[in-house]
Amino acid sequence: MTGDMPSTLEAFNPVVEGLMVQTEAGPRLMGTRCLGCHMTYFPSSTTCRNPACGSDTVESTQLSLVGTLYSYTVQHYQPPPLFRNDDWQPYAIGVVEFPEKVRVMGMLSGIALDDIAIGERYVLALSDLVKDADGKQVHTHAFTPESQGTPSE
Amino acid sequence: MSEGVYVAGAGAIPWGKRPETTQLAMAIEALNAAFLDAGIGWEGIEGLVAASSRFEGGMGWGLHANEILQAVSERAISCINVGGACAAGAIAFNTAYSMIASGQHDSVAVIGAERMPKGFIPRPPGSQDDISDSDFLRWVTMGATNPAYWALEAQRRRYDFGTSDETLARASVLMRSNAAANPYARFRDPLTIEEVLASPMVADPLHLLQICPVSDGAAAVVLGSRKFAEGTGRPLVEVAGCAIGSGQFGDPARRIPTISNTVLEGVAHTSEVTTSVKRAMEMASVDLPDIDVLEMADNTSWHLLAWPELFGFVEPGQSDWMINNGRFAINGDLALNPSGGFLSFGEATTAQAVLQVCELVWQLRGEAVGRQVTGARVGMSAVLGLAGNGGSIVLKR
Repeated sequence: MTGDMPSTLEAFNPVVEGLMVQTEAGPRLMGTRCLGCHMTYFPSSTTCRNPACGSDTVESTQLSLVGTLYSYTVQHYQPPPLFRNDDWQPYAIGVVEFPEKVRVMGMLSGIALDDIAIGERYVLALSDLVKDADGKQVHTHAFTPESQGTPSE
Repeated sequence: MSEGVYVAGAGAIPWGKRPETTQLAMAIEALNAAFLDAGIGWEGIEGLVAASSRFEGGMGWGLHANEILQAVSERAISCINVGGACAAGAIAFNTAYSMIASGQHDSVAVIGAERMPKGFIPRPPGSQDDISDSDFLRWVTMGATNPAYWALEAQRRRYDFGTSDETLARASVLMRSNAAANPYARFRDPLTIEEVLASPMVADPLHLLQICPVSDGAAAVVLGSRKFAEGTGRPLVEVAGCAIGSGQFGDPARRIPTISNTVLEGVAHTSEVTTSVKRAMEMASVDLPDIDVLEMADNTSWHLLAWPELFGFVEPGQSDWMINNGRFAINGDLALNPSGGFLSFGEATTAQAVLQVCELVWQLRGEAVGRQVTGARVGMSAVLGLAGNGGSIVLKR
């Protein structure tokens, strides 16, 4: 377990509703799957965007737990105020490619900035951002190396 | 049928920071420069197309053709105001082209002018604070700035092709070298690779001097029928091709401000631009080897390596060798941004694609003093705008 991972369901407090769902096995990214062409979208969508598909029926789906790091960068400047983070310091943003052909951006956690390598396996994690008005920790979706020992499927 | 559309006049103001000048005043100054070049006055145009963005002007609608005419010469002519973010100038150009090619008008001016807010471009108003707005998501969930998106592409390039820090820096050095004699460029001092790499790291692997800043600027062109262009007495520069495009499903490019994409094999990277380039070249009946000058959007040094490959000038990964061996220099195999590019101008969003056309006109007329591509006959522009907007223009002498 990483220090970023809340131990109880009660701790799940995402910064925005609808990107993740909490399951018994931990949080998962929540997207949309088209019943016609089986394309997957993230975040959730009410439509299928595939021009080769005429279907208008989509369903909610969970993205795979494990993906591959496609690329990353380290942001050295503090972003504008809409990004609220109590403990700001240069941090990594990565792109993780999931088997559903979806590439998702998110902060990387649980790895030293110098050790990040494209092509390695990453899993979804939660990263701390700020404490809300009630003193409760707010999280965002993040990715951490699979080798960090997060529960597997 | 149309006998073709020509650029009859081109004009711009020097790029910089102009806190004392309004957007409207900059637009008028650029239009007057284009009119002077064409040897006409305000009465010489039958229409005005403005490239608009959200930053200033037009009662909140952005730069506005009507507002310009109301300030200078209110003559009941056709006014069109178009959006398209950083590609708006190319879309405005395309619109003016159509107005003349259709036979509806003999002469139409295109204007782009922008005063940019400082720093990272902020989120626009009027969107929901929920998952329906990508711009909200990218800020609150990870604080991804625009340079971070380009940095993700650059880092992947390093992985795919082994592009070195020095090569990525050399692209910035080349732009400064090209800009040195360009009176319209904001940054004209020469740079060394060491200086680029010593500038602050913004988003790995991109340093400050590898990312285009924001500027204030304005550029205008006058398009006309063949008869109109001949009447100006200026050398004829034909609009041989012009096209706009939007994104293709499955495009692997990281598109600002989205946080995810569904990627399909075989779909072109930055498809809104590659599609535009392909269409403009087909319309102009030119092949890649025919093109002497390419003016393309270099939001970062990565773009200067990636885009010539995406357009097919060189094979994927080959730009590194090209730039390291002077082949993208002003009198190399392909003159890449002889103006100095966005890196030497700083981006004044809607004006940028119009400025690209001005530079191509000056190059094809042989008027680009100190940066002239010898014997340039065919020039092409390529620009990308937020939300999947692309545009490309091919000019022929």
